[in-house]
Formats: sequence, structure tokens, C-alpha cells
Amino acid sequence: MTLNRRTFGKLVLGAGVIAPYAFSRTALAQPKPGDELVVGIWGGAQERIVKEHVEKALVAKYGCKVSYVLGGTPERRARAYAERGRPSFDVLYLNIFESRQAVKDGVTQAPTAAVPQFANLHEAAKLGGYGVALNPCTIVYDKRKAAKPITSWKDIWNPEWKGRIAWPSYPGAQGTAGLLMAAKIFGGSESNIGVGFDKIKELKPFAAIQGSQDQLFQMFDQGVADLSVEFGSFTRKYAETRNPNIEIVNPVEGQAITMNVACITVGTQNQKLAEEWINLHLSEPCMLAYAAETYYSPTVKGLNIPDALKSKLVLGDDVGKLVDFDWDLVIKSQAAWSSRFNREIAG
Amino acid sequence: MAETRPPATIAGGGPGQRGCTGRLIGPLLAAPVTLWLLLAFAAPLVVVVLLSLHAAPDPFGALFQSPSLAQFAMLAEDRFYLKLVGETLALAAGVTLLTVLLGYPLALWLTRLPLRWRSLGFAVILIPLLTNVVVRSLGIVLLLAPDGLINQVLVALGLQPWRGMLYTHGAVAIALAQVFMPFMVLALYDVLQGTSPRVHEAAQSLGASPMTRLLVVDLPLSLPGLRAGIIIVFLMASTAYVSATLLGGKKVLTVGMIVWQEALQNLNGPLASALSLVLTGTSTAFAVAIFFVARQLMPWKESRPGSVLSLPRWLMVTLDLVGPVLGKLLLACALLLLLLPLVLVCIQSFNDVPQATVAGFRAFTLEWYRRVLFGGAYGAAFVTSFQLACASAVVAIALALPAAFALARHRFRGLTALGAFWTLPLSLPHIAIGVGMLRLLQVYTALPPFFGLMAVHVVLILPFAIALLQTSVEQLDKAQEEAAASLGAGPASRLALITLPGLAPGLAAACIMSFLLSFGEVTVTSFLTTARLTTLPVRIYSEAAFSLEPTVHAVSALLIVATMLALAALNRLVQLDRLYAR
Repeated sequence: MTLNRRTFGKLVLGAGVIAPYAFSRTALAQPKPGDELVVGIWGGAQERIVKEHVEKALVAKYGCKVSYVLGGTPERRARAYAERGRPSFDVLYLNIFESRQAVKDGVTQAPTAAVPQFANLHEAAKLGGYGVALNPCTIVYDKRKAAKPITSWKDIWNPEWKGRIAWPSYPGAQGTAGLLMAAKIFGGSESNIGVGFDKIKELKPFAAIQGSQDQLFQMFDQGVADLSVEFGSFTRKYAETRNPNIEIVNPVEGQAITMNVACITVGTQNQKLAEEWINLHLSEPCMLAYAAETYYSPTVKGLNIPDALKSKLVLGDDVGKLVDFDWDLVIKSQAAWSSRFNREIAG
Repeated sequence: MAETRPPATIAGGGPGQRGCTGRLIGPLLAAPVTLWLLLAFAAPLVVVVLLSLHAAPDPFGALFQSPSLAQFAMLAEDRFYLKLVGETLALAAGVTLLTVLLGYPLALWLTRLPLRWRSLGFAVILIPLLTNVVVRSLGIVLLLAPDGLINQVLVALGLQPWRGMLYTHGAVAIALAQVFMPFMVLALYDVLQGTSPRVHEAAQSLGASPMTRLLVVDLPLSLPGLRAGIIIVFLMASTAYVSATLLGGKKVLTVGMIVWQEALQNLNGPLASALSLVLTGTSTAFAVAIFFVARQLMPWKESRPGSVLSLPRWLMVTLDLVGPVLGKLLLACALLLLLLPLVLVCIQSFNDVPQATVAGFRAFTLEWYRRVLFGGAYGAAFVTSFQLACASAVVAIALALPAAFALARHRFRGLTALGAFWTLPLSLPHIAIGVGMLRLLQVYTALPPFFGLMAVHVVLILPFAIALLQTSVEQLDKAQEEAAASLGAGPASRLALITLPGLAPGLAAACIMSFLLSFGEVTVTSFLTTARLTTLPVRIYSEAAFSLEPTVHAVSALLIVATMLALAALNRLVQLDRLYAR
């Protein structure tokens, strides 16, 4: 069969008319009862909160089923990368820098206004997916061991902390925050990270390098270390329930931004359900449940936060004061930085 | 002529082996396990090899690329990686030594326990495998902390406390020795209790003190078990990374940790694969060396004349004085290490605190048990794990038993190499197997999820099951089988009435171990888990990534109780003592 110019033109025109339909077909497909949404998320409190405040409402509205793939971020991310374009997840939760890279790599979708709550998100929460919880990293320390209260990131370098610091492991949200802040406050930056490494080296010897908040809390409990860089949110919970001597600093230079991000996979067969899921996650009841149970700060503007919670969260203008970074450069440099961290800081 | 024949054939060759069918028995016995590993393990292994030959990482790049040795060249030139591999192997060697020192007295203690207490003894040995790594490391932290148990004892004795014990190689070694002790003890148990009391009586009648008997009779006779234990523990310790992270506080770096970091956090599959293969190569070389050294130390196995061992008198006198005290001290240390997590689990599972890592007791609560038993999600995950572990253990034993017979009795050319292949799943870091599986996810997801997970679990269990069963088969008394044959018993009745009952203790140990290994597997499973098939450890691990709640202790407590009941029942059905079984 041969194509003359006219037939070819008609075909091109036809394809042009059909293409947008094909492109948006999954987005327009309405959920049917019995459809299954697969969500990749952390276990424990997070799983409990979304089951209560997101799943119930979604199932009530569409008669769908929600299944969870539970695990840590690294495994979830590795799996999503291996399944690019033919995902077994519809929604997956990542950290701030991983989520932006995943969009660039074509693994997850950039956020759109198809999720109604998108309009109410803080600007920082509109990149690389839908930011669902602000969870900044800051200095946490045992106030009994401090000559005077810590107010600046530079205070970490006071000689009184020598040998008493549990520096956070890199890569990882806390370690990334620690490294970037060390560089920034001493005149370096993401593109001049050597300053950060050199300053962190000055802090050696460390009491230990901590790899997770649970491990750090154990170090505080046992008197092994007295200072670290950690998520302020859950450390506050720890201080309130287990160790009132732990202080969470709001440094003059600001806390380092960290965020949990909900991402919709490229190639999902449940686009509408996934968008509804995220919209429900960004709803007031769910944001407030997270705030009350884990002290995660909402990413949505204009919520009615109970007064008792206000002082424990990052809200309003304070969100703008969080220190943000060039995450593209950070993720691009991760392999080189982690190699350097292993050689110069850890071990 | 006899010298050119494979030695083990002389020692183990039975009736009917010399014909054509006889020669085929070995390969036939070795075939099922080889086939399983080729189908379920060779594919991810090939992926790991191919990835290691990539010049640069590209998570979306084609698997087949023009091969490059860039990763290996980089590893060879970089002192950091050479030091890392060296330190990891040294740590593994230290852990193995510690496990032998603590495990041997423990295995002796277990064989001397009255039979009715033996199932309880087994349960104690298995505690580390029944408890989560978090509670185990909490125990070690409480032991070694600046104000911990050891320092409190030191202070009470008027000595200077040692505040820097945590987050050192020593702390990691103790933690790993604790969790690998069951493997050493089980490998030793069967050979130790298989030694006839007549041998002991003979030694005693010749004037040997208990210490002399231990050194010149029990120790040499237990070499097959010791060899299996050492190889298993060394290979496991060389790939460990979770305990190393929790108790090394990144002041201790291991190959496993860097493989995990490169594979998952940096998405650098080629470097992770190359590093895994370097570790596998070096640790396998060690395992082969141990194998040959042990063979040299057991000349009687190959009908070679052995040298007479004579110790100077002053040494024997010293050993007789020091030995029993030292033995009791080591046994006490080993039992303390084993029981510490049990005590903690009992306290922590009722502790009303927000996180699992809290040390002090606050208030009593049944909330964690309520969540585990009636929370829904844990129950489903438990059932999945239980079914998976049962199926995996049964299949693994069915495959490992013929392989063990091939290794112990029907050796053929190439079997040593094949045996090394069977051990590979143990020496390749599990995270690398996971990375290999990720690349094969499309093939894998075409399988029914339960079958796919079981296939992988069987692969991971096989090296243990083979090692334990090989030792048991070697211990079988062939004279009994020959006696039965001379009385007219056919092969089937010999198997059912003589061989299998004789293997009962070894089979029981291998079954328990296989079940627990599958039940606790998390590294590879966490890559392969699906929404419909979440195992209990994966569920627990998913919480650890955020913050672990004390439900994990309630799970451990229930698991310990269930294991005790199962062992008590098993003890009624199968005699856990070979001498009684005979």
C-alpha cells in the first residue's frame, strides 16, 4: 500500500485530533467500584493516619479498594525506577529531593491543578509532586549540657560540644540538611560544598554518626551523645514523651527545609483515584491528624490549626523562612558527596 | 589405584555404587538443587555480573552493554575500598572466632541437658532468631552504654568504667556473634551429641581428664560441625549491614553498608554489583580454604594415617585447672547474650512508651498485644509469613537432603565446584540479589506472587540446609544400614527405618532453621513484596523506617512462645537426641 500526500495529510490531521484524547484518556477515565489504588508509604503512624483520613473517604466515594506497599523510601524508590512506565504503584511517597529527581527521570508526574488542593499549597510544596508534610531539620540538643542556649547553626562549633555530637549520616534527609547548612553558614553553598565538609571535619571526633531518629533518641537516652541535626517534629514528640531535657532549636539562620511528597506514577491506570487520594491527604482533617500525632507541619495554607498546636509547627511566614536549596544540584552531586562523606567523616 | 580415586568415595562408597547406576547416583542427587538454583538464583546473579561490567551507572540503561572493567579497576585502585573489604573480612573473622568461643560451650551444654529440658534449651538458643534486630541491638546498647550493665559491674568491683564501648568494631562483633550463635550451635549440636558415650568411656579409662577428652576426642570429632558453622557464620558476617549500622553508628563501615548505599540511595547498580562480587570472591576463597584445612585435620575421614597429638604435661595441668572455669564463664556469657533480648522483650512488650527503642519501663499496657492480635494488618502479615516459611522450609529440605547425601556419600568429579555454587547465595550480599531481582521484575511479576517469593526464599535457605544436613549425613552410622541390608531390608525400608530416624535431629534442626530464616527474611523480600503479599518482617521494617513502635516486641514475644510450644510438640514426636533415636 502506498500513501499519497492527501491520504498522509488526512492521517496526520486525524492523529492530531485523536492525540489529545489519547493523552488525557487516563485522566478522564472515571473510577469504577472495585478499582484498586496501590499506595507505597511508610508503616506505623503514617499508615494509620492515611487509612483513617484518606482511605475511608475515598472508598466511601468511589467504592474502590486501597492496597498498601509498605517499606522504606530507598526500596520504594528503587522499585519505582525499575518499573518506570509500567508501575505497580499508583501513588508513592518520597522525600523532597528524590521526588524532584523522579519527575525529571520520568518516573512520577509533575503536580497539576487536577488536584483541587494544589491551589492552596505553599509554593515550596508544588515542586516534584504534592508536598504533604513540612518536616524541617534543625539542631537538637540536651540543654543540661549547654553552657548557654543554642541560637545559631554556628553554635555547633563551640568547643563544649567536642566529642558529644552524633552527626547525621549522609545521604539521608538529616545528613543532607546538616551538610548543606554547614556549607551555607560558613560562606559555601551547594556548588561549593567543600566548605561544609571541611567545617564538619573540624567537629571530629564524633560520639557517633546517627542513621535514624530512633537511633539518635537511643543515643540521647543512654547519654552517648548530646547534640545532633534531626527532624524537629518527631524530636519534639520524643522530648515531650521521653526526654524533657532535649531542646529543639529555631536557629537565626532558619531551619533546613525537608518535606514528604506524594507522587503519582507515570503510567498509572488510576489517575483520577490517585488525584483524589492526594486531594484527601491535603484535606484539613488529614493535615490536622498529622500535625497532632507527629507534629508534621501542613503544606496547605489557611487551615484552622488549634492554638495548642501552633507553637509546635512551622506555619505562615515561618514557612518562607525555611532554608531551601538547589535540589537538582544536590541530587546530581549525591554519589560524589556520599563517597566523600564515607572517606572524610564516617568510619 | 586407590590413591587416584576420590577419597570420599572410599570412605562413603556403599553397596551398588560401582556400577553405571552407582556412578549416576551422585549427579542425580545433586540435580534438583542445582536446577532450582539455576532457575531462581542464576538469573539475578547473571544480572549482578552484567551490571558490574557497566562502565557507568544508568538506572534505565540496557542490561547488555559492551563489557567494561571500569568498576573493578576503580575498586582495585582506590585504597578506601581495599581497606573496606579488608576491614569487613577482619570483622567477619572476629565474629566467627567469638561465635566459636561462645557457641562451643553452649553446644556442649545443650547436649548434656536432660532430654525433657532440651526443647527449652533449643528455644533459648533460637531467641536471637526470634527477636527483631531492634530489640537485640537495644540489649547490646544497654550492655555497653556508658552507664550500662558492664560499666555498672566494673564500678561495683571498684574498677574504672570504660565509656567508649558502643559504636566500635567490638560492639558490632558482639551483636553479630549474638545473632549468628544459633547457626554455630546447631551445626555443632548434631555432631557433639552423636559421639558415642563409649568413646568417652574409652578416653576416661585411659586416664584422660574431662579437659583432655574435650581437646583430643570431642574437638576433633566435632570438626565437621565446626567447619560448617565457621563457613556459615563467616559468610553471613561478611555481608551483614543492619546490626553494623545500628551498633557501629557509621564509625564502623562494612561492605554491606556501602553496597546498600550505592544500590539504593545512589542508584549506582554497577558499583554495588562490582563491590558485592569482590566480597563474594574473597569470602568464598576463605570458605574453600577452611574446607580444605578441615579436611587436612580429619585424616580418618579419608582413611589416612593421622599424627599422634601429645600435649606437654604442664599444659595439660594448666588446662585442667583453667579449662572448667573458663568454660563456665564462656557459657555464662553466651547465655547472658542469648537471654538479654528475651528479658527485654518481656518487659518492652508491656511497656507504655511511644517508641520501641525506649529503655526504661514506664507503665504497664496491653495495647501492643491488642494491636498485633486484633489490629488486623499484623494478623494477615503473620499468616503470609507463616505459610511462606512453611512452604519454603519444606521445599528447601526436600532439595537439600539429596544434595547433602551427594556431598557426604556420593562424590563425583565437579561436585566441589557445584558445592561452592550452592553456597553462593550465602556469600553474595542479599542486597545485590535484590538489585538483580529488580531488573528481572517483569519476569518475576509474571509468576504467582507467593510462588515467586517462595522460590527466592528457598534459594536463600539452601546453603544453610545443605551445610547442616551434610554434617548429619556424615554422622550416620553406615554399619546400621549395612546390617539392615544384610537382613534383607530393601533401599526404601532402609531409608524409612534406619536413615531417616537417624537423621531426625539433624532434620529437625535444619527444618527449624529454614523456617526461621524464611520467616525473618526482609532484605530481598522488601524489594519483591506486593500490595497483596506483605510479610511480617517487611511490615515491621516499614515502620522502622519512620519510628518503630513497641508492637514489634509483642510480635517477638508471641513468636518466642509459639516456638517454645512448637519445640515441645516436636520433642514429643521426634527425639532431638540421636543416641536415643538409634
